[in-house]
Amino acid sequence: MLSLVLILIASLFFTGIIIRTKSIASGRKGPGIFQPVKDVWRLFKKGSVYSETTSFVFQIAPVVYFSSVVMAILVVPFGSTKGIISFDGDFIFFAYVLALGKFFSIISAMDTGSSFEGMGASREALYSMFAEPAFFILMGSFALLTGHTSFFEIFSTLHLGSYITYALGIMATFVLVMIAMIENSRMPIDDPKTHLELTMVHEVMILDNSGFDLGLILSTGYLKFAMYGTLITNLYIGELSMAYAIPIFFITQFAFAVSVGLIESFMARYRMSHNPQFIFALSSVSLLIFLGVLLVLGKFV
Amino acid sequence: MIGFATLENSGFLFNIYIGILLAGLIGIVIVSERLKPYLAALVVLLVSFLTSLLAIQGIHSNGLEFFIPGGSFIGDIPFRIDALSAWFMLIINLTVTTGVLYGIGYLRAYKPIKSIITLHWVLLVLFQSSMLWVCMVQNSIAFLIAWEIMSLSSLFLVLFDHTDSKVIKAGINYMVQMHLSVAFLTVAFIWVYFKTGTFDFKGIGTYFGSNANLWLFVVFFLGFGLKAGFMGLHSWLPHAHPAAPSHVSGIMSGVIVKMGIYGIFRIITFLKADYILLGDIVLTFSVLTGLFGIMNAAVHRDFKKMLAYCTIENIGIIGIGIGVGLIGLGKDQNVLIFLGFGGALLHVLNHSLFKSLLFYSAGSVYQQTHTRDMNQLGGLIKKMPQTALLFLIGALAIGGIPPFNGFISEFLIYSGLLAGIHSVDIAQTTLMVVSVAGMSIIGGISVFAFTKTFGTIFLGSARTELHHEPREASNIMLVPQYMIVLVMLSIAFFSGYFLNVILTILNGSFHANMEVGNIDFLRYSSVLQHISLYSFLFIVGIGLIFYLRKAITQKRKSTYNSTWGCGYTAPTSRMQYSGKSFTKPLSKLFNFVLIEKKSFNELKTNEIFPVSRNYSSSYLDFWEHWLINPAIKYLGLFIDLFKFFQNGRIQAYVLYGIVFILIVFIGTVFNLLH
Repeated sequence: MLSLVLILIASLFFTGIIIRTKSIASGRKGPGIFQPVKDVWRLFKKGSVYSETTSFVFQIAPVVYFSSVVMAILVVPFGSTKGIISFDGDFIFFAYVLALGKFFSIISAMDTGSSFEGMGASREALYSMFAEPAFFILMGSFALLTGHTSFFEIFSTLHLGSYITYALGIMATFVLVMIAMIENSRMPIDDPKTHLELTMVHEVMILDNSGFDLGLILSTGYLKFAMYGTLITNLYIGELSMAYAIPIFFITQFAFAVSVGLIESFMARYRMSHNPQFIFALSSVSLLIFLGVLLVLGKFV
Repeated sequence: MIGFATLENSGFLFNIYIGILLAGLIGIVIVSERLKPYLAALVVLLVSFLTSLLAIQGIHSNGLEFFIPGGSFIGDIPFRIDALSAWFMLIINLTVTTGVLYGIGYLRAYKPIKSIITLHWVLLVLFQSSMLWVCMVQNSIAFLIAWEIMSLSSLFLVLFDHTDSKVIKAGINYMVQMHLSVAFLTVAFIWVYFKTGTFDFKGIGTYFGSNANLWLFVVFFLGFGLKAGFMGLHSWLPHAHPAAPSHVSGIMSGVIVKMGIYGIFRIITFLKADYILLGDIVLTFSVLTGLFGIMNAAVHRDFKKMLAYCTIENIGIIGIGIGVGLIGLGKDQNVLIFLGFGGALLHVLNHSLFKSLLFYSAGSVYQQTHTRDMNQLGGLIKKMPQTALLFLIGALAIGGIPPFNGFISEFLIYSGLLAGIHSVDIAQTTLMVVSVAGMSIIGGISVFAFTKTFGTIFLGSARTELHHEPREASNIMLVPQYMIVLVMLSIAFFSGYFLNVILTILNGSFHANMEVGNIDFLRYSSVLQHISLYSFLFIVGIGLIFYLRKAITQKRKSTYNSTWGCGYTAPTSRMQYSGKSFTKPLSKLFNFVLIEKKSFNELKTNEIFPVSRNYSSSYLDFWEHWLINPAIKYLGLFIDLFKFFQNGRIQAYVLYGIVFILIVFIGTVFNLLH
């Protein structure tokens, strides 16, 4: 329950901070940090234009996409409090529920019959598919380390053994940050600010969405960021008391948002064809974590 | 109803079944054209009902046994229906029942071809029974006969469209490979016979008890694996499935490949040692099978071929479960046996459901459009909304996506892998983690493959002008598909019931020794209950948000306009993203497995006025291209050396006969033939 509230709060300012960081880095003042939320609010009040080619899939897809992320958020715990949903192997549920949302966002892009939106759909499907093994190897390694298979139990018992686990936590942070970037179609993989449809991934998929649906899709993106931020926070807080954990949560989310902003300001997007290689590298980092876990458990003797 | 079939009257029930079967077969031949399909459906339903009674009795008593006299050569044929057989029998009955109902509608278009229609329905009825026999019979010779009837009847069902040379070719391919499978099985059974002196399946157990387990299992695995379609043994599937009429492809993909899985399970029940080694082998092989299958599924443009490759992927997933279960047997860990074998058995059921659903809905598309090339289609969701919805449900379920049943079985298998991580053996830990990653890639690519297939066939706008306007499939074709969806949902939301049945199988056939009150079982069944509950709430949540959206957007102005063309004002439907372009990034990345064959003639330098030209590209099967085709080529070259025997002269053939008789005669006289 606590995690849900915290994620909702964090999602309000997360994207705002990213945009603000980018503005400051490029020497502008930039909009207020609640501007993205105001944008969504305005979109909710607007009418929509639908493509004549579309079917009911296009109508229901944004809702499914939004619900899938909300469902995934319910699984995420916070330190010593469980998520609303928690059971053994809930991270599998987490990943597959997100896949449902992705499935619908992809087919809604195909529903428009556009020559561009299918391109984005294809890329999104490909990149998010490559991010899966990194996540599963990561969680599998932690399951091996802790002997548990639910998010809550994994995170709350992660640091009971030795301090080396914090080093693993840092590597895991890298993996999760990058997965968050891939899932949200942000910088090294995709450039949300590009104006050329041919180079877009996520943006081109939602070209035909407008009004309420677009607002729903955008707010899903904000929630997703905050959700991954919470997962990252969970890597560190363990069983800490709330007096420390909640400030750490906001600091982490803030640092995460700022670093996303900085990455977007100072990095160029990778060449489209190099993206898969990059994402494969992510799986290798996950495998390193696995090796680290084997070391911690003394299996190499 | 259950009381009706008892140990005493099971033989009686079986006799009624045989009677109905024979009467039905004769009846189908006799009755008028119009009634044939309905009579066939009736026979299938009655047979399903009777054998399901036997099967249910088999589950409850765990081990129904009766003997049917099989003449002096075979002796009494033991029919044993334990929970494992029963599980597969029920799956067969369910799939064939939906298949025959769908087939009535599907074959209406083919009414004019009388003779073949009769043959078709006769074979379909026989096909069901032969599969049931395969599950029941426990005598090697009788088993091989049933197996052969199953292969041959399905072969002739595949050859329905016998005027098409491609279909004939696919049929011959299927026939040869099935007999390769029979050859392996025969070798294995004879091997057992020579060691133990019995054709009864119990002999296999005796053999395993006193000999090395590995090699006999490998021979059996090759034989059954050919039927199941494990990688390298799979190459008949992508040819036979597209060639067959859709209800037959649905049944074949739904259950005939599962007969291979049944065989593997049956052999596992007799295993006595080497579990861990075999488990590692099966697990590794299955992960590769899954990856190979789904990668190929993603790139093919023929949607029935795509579904065939997807079957290979699912066989991989089932195999992963079997591998985990074998490792569990080796380590004597009940939880691994339960999660591995249980997940695999449940996935067998799940896959038979959603794969037949997908084949049926794809068949409806084929019936209306007469093309299997998805890049010719598009926008069918407006013409065939129900078929589109059914295909979408199948696609989501097969990807293992939560509110549907595929997730339940995949979740069990994932849990099995995660439970298997805690091993003393570092190699095994690594294997498990890599398998988890492999499963996740399989899941990812399957989303990729099915968004592509669904998107290209049903969404957007039509890519080519079709000969006639497609219409929604007839009710008799839609009803069986809705039935399948209902069963799928029942698995998704009431998984507990199915788990209890699976537990009976595991206790009876694999000596899992798990009570219903077992702590591990309770743990996972409560987890699955949670999943069902959350999936249900999830659907409710989606509904609520959708309702909210509707309430809000109703008040707003909404307009309809053409798709945003990025400034271009004259787009045509040919400019849509096609299935081919959708998968190009994937196929480029894995071009070492997905071999693309392009054919075109290049523009020459002296060609000043280029004329219109053709370009085509298709994907070749890695194993067929690099292993099977070269092997056949060299085999052919070798056999050509002996071509002179067949010279077409009758005199020479008579001479061969005389030489043979002489050899036999001389051999007998001089006592040389020992």
